Amino acid sequence: MELKANAFGRNARKALLDKTLQGALERTTGRFQAHRDAAVAAFPEFEATRERASGIKRDVLDHLDTYLARFIEEAEKRGAIVHVARDAAQAREIAARIARNEGITLAVKSKSMASEEISLNEALQGAGVTVVESDLGEYIIQLAGETPSHIIAPAAHKTREQISRLFERHLGEPRTDSIPGLVGMARKHLREKFLSAGMGVSGGNFLVADTGSVVLVTNEGNGRMGTVLPRVHLAVVGIEKVIPRMADLPTFLRLLPRSATGQAISSYVSIVTGTRRAGDPEGPDRMHILLLDCGRSAILEGKYREVLKCVRCGACLNCCPVYQSVGGHPYGWVYSGPIGAVLTPLLVGLPEAAALPDASTLCGACADVCPVKIPLPDFLLELRADAREQGLKTPGEIAAMKGYAGVMKRAGLLEAIERIGGVLGQFFTKGKGIGGLPYPFSGWTERRDFPAPAALPFRKRWKIQRGARD
Amino acid sequence: MPYTTGMGPFGSIPVSLFFTCLADAFSPGVCSATVEVLERFGATVRVPLSQTCCGQPAFNSGNRKEARAMARKFLLTFPDDGPIVTPSGSCAAMVKHGYPVLFRDEPRMLARARAVGDRIYELSQYLVDVLGVTDPKSDFSGKVTYHDSCHLRRGLGVVSAPRKLLRAVPGVEFVEMEESDRCCGFGGVFSVKYPQISCKMTERKVERILETGAAYVTSGDLGCLLNIGGLISRIGYPVKVIHLAEILAGKAAGRGDAG
Amino acid sequence: MVNERESLFRRLSAACGGHGAGPGEGLPGEAPVPPEIDRVALFAKTFAAADGVLLRGPLEKALSDLGEMLRAEGVTALFFPEDDAAAREIAEALVPFGPFSLTTGAEVRGGSAAVTAGFRTAEAAIAETGTVVETSAGGRTLLPGLIPDVHVSIVPAASVVARMEEALAAFTADPPRNISFLSGPSRTGDIEQTLTIGAHGPRKAIVLLLTIPGPGVKITSL
Repeated sequence: MELKANAFGRNARKALLDKTLQGALERTTGRFQAHRDAAVAAFPEFEATRERASGIKRDVLDHLDTYLARFIEEAEKRGAIVHVARDAAQAREIAARIARNEGITLAVKSKSMASEEISLNEALQGAGVTVVESDLGEYIIQLAGETPSHIIAPAAHKTREQISRLFERHLGEPRTDSIPGLVGMARKHLREKFLSAGMGVSGGNFLVADTGSVVLVTNEGNGRMGTVLPRVHLAVVGIEKVIPRMADLPTFLRLLPRSATGQAISSYVSIVTGTRRAGDPEGPDRMHILLLDCGRSAILEGKYREVLKCVRCGACLNCCPVYQSVGGHPYGWVYSGPIGAVLTPLLVGLPEAAALPDASTLCGACADVCPVKIPLPDFLLELRADAREQGLKTPGEIAAMKGYAGVMKRAGLLEAIERIGGVLGQFFTKGKGIGGLPYPFSGWTERRDFPAPAALPFRKRWKIQRGARD
Repeated sequence: MPYTTGMGPFGSIPVSLFFTCLADAFSPGVCSATVEVLERFGATVRVPLSQTCCGQPAFNSGNRKEARAMARKFLLTFPDDGPIVTPSGSCAAMVKHGYPVLFRDEPRMLARARAVGDRIYELSQYLVDVLGVTDPKSDFSGKVTYHDSCHLRRGLGVVSAPRKLLRAVPGVEFVEMEESDRCCGFGGVFSVKYPQISCKMTERKVERILETGAAYVTSGDLGCLLNIGGLISRIGYPVKVIHLAEILAGKAAGRGDAG
Repeated sequence: MVNERESLFRRLSAACGGHGAGPGEGLPGEAPVPPEIDRVALFAKTFAAADGVLLRGPLEKALSDLGEMLRAEGVTALFFPEDDAAAREIAEALVPFGPFSLTTGAEVRGGSAAVTAGFRTAEAAIAETGTVVETSAGGRTLLPGLIPDVHVSIVPAASVVARMEEALAAFTADPPRNISFLSGPSRTGDIEQTLTIGAHGPRKAIVLLLTIPGPGVKITSL
């Protein structure tokens, strides 16, 4: 996907003025947040399960080499062909080669954020494959030529009217404002693709090391169709998605649907292992698992490794007041919201995405909801410090910081400035607020007042009232 | 178990006041109110006047070098013993959680930071959890709603102490707002870097406040109050911002309105 | 390709090295086992919460209710796998309640336009989540719960387990190609975050709860 993270500010301002988007955002995130909170409240073991999941993921990260090796061994034992891609370019090349070698002309795809990272569809199209997104939300934005705006709800920014117009234009379907009607149209058109596609492409929510299985968690049933019917299955999954044992899967299944949509369980969980066995009436003859490094091993080495615990539930997006205000597109890449503000700079490099860690008030709501306890606010702070270290801050900001720290070195100097500010402030504003602050603080006073400094700072008052000395 | 003479777990050691640069310069009435309340419950309040700033704006914006300089000064300024009380949830959280990050590579400073962090409290936290105050003995009156500032609630885990105190004031008609713990959009530097997003968040907070019909909105963080108050004053809504310390102090403290 | 794998593992080993505990030693212990519960009662509750419909009780009444439900969904054709005796028995017994015709796997797989109900005996059911478990083990087909508009699962009461762990334990040693957890009908919220039941998978999920032990035994009562 094209990277536009550093245009966050500009795109956020556009998003704030987009009334349709604002309505969609309020509805989407409000609902997800309410459902998630209700599901968690109804699940007394939530905290204990979170702690467990966090512990399991930490063990995985500590021994990812061992667990990943086991996964590959088990998967290959059962007929899967496992590929490893260091970066997006390599991944695309492998995917294109697979498509050509297998003689694929039509592929149905179910949701995969990792595939967006590597622009998989383009690569397959380049190899002569028509790729049809089958997740309803992804299908909609594919028709619209757009990118997903939310990890769980890619078409969260679209209204039914917009979708109906799309279906009319691209599918020849009559206009309707019935949501079930629209869903029925998509079902009809996609059904035919499922039945005829040579390849099903999926992501993977989890990779089970002790069995070599890929786990898909879905609601629509498209993930199942795409991994049962076509003769080839291609799973594109990040290396960090490993969990140690099949017995660990329920812990994550108890957290992921609740955190994402507020369901106790998703409609479908598919655990697929290798190719069809002799005598199976359905199933792929060929299974390819494309494991992506794409920056993950570098993250594993450093202070941000816990971010690799992420299970892509989207809960942090739904509770983030900044995401709720601007949606996913301003974050400018595959991942948005709090996880995007951390993961994007780590995967694409901080210079290309330095605007993102600043796009947060550090309120901490995300850390409260993360089912695997990723310390997102701490990582945002850390990235801001990295930005300073890497020379990504403006000279103006650095000078201002040095000036402010210089003043704060000596209480006497601070007091003198406060006294002067107090006199000037009271003189110019006559006790009312300041209507316009100078750059770079002018943003504040666009729509808010700022108080004038007090006539006498507290430290002076205290000395007067209590006769105290410095 | 009410303590009326500031005798808490620290015996009769005085309480040090960390009055915060923001309140010092823009709302000194908050500082006076804090002293008033502490003295009401028997604390002997020391005010080290060489204090300046805890360094939060520098730390939050990633400027750790400058933040460290201010943190060092802070750790030198405050005495080696006794509780440190501040009317700011975010400043207390900075010292408690931010200083160990700043000094993670300096074992001696880290130890000192941890020791100081262990005895720093936000005002309502100190009154309720340490002094065991159940009635702040305030003569304030008015319909009040409360905003949970992010650092006080999530950073320090202080949720019920301010509410207990507010509900115990006879003249206060306390009403909870919806989304009381939703961020007001201040976020320090964020409000200046992304002012439009910030304002949208503030607007939502003000909507929730207006829905309560309260005459006052209060909080344990002045930054939030300046932010909310700034929007209220620009539009002219019939709500006043007032710091928690000022409500607790009551009429005796005088009304050093922030805006 | 093998070189890329080697270099990945070199990077990973460098990043992972230095942790005292071996793999798994840092893992939390087994998830605590909750006290014994009435599994069938819980399954009935959770399956309903997942928008599934549970039928039990005297066979004649259940068949009549089922027939009515299928008619209401516009079903005209019934599909059951050749090797699934209980599914065959139920489907054939239902024919007069429609009337319904019987269709084949080939027709279903070929995209038949008829509104179809697929019948299949489940391997297990999970009380915790209201889940029907279907797998490809033993060469069984998954078509009945995949393509048709309505999915009717025949669940022997004795196969209801309490939690997901128990359902998975049977398949860990030698997993089949496909283990599917089916918890109610397919659904989507992708349009205006409004829940719509019935997306790509079946739009109605029905469970016939049998009180006899296993599949393949002649059904005389539910």
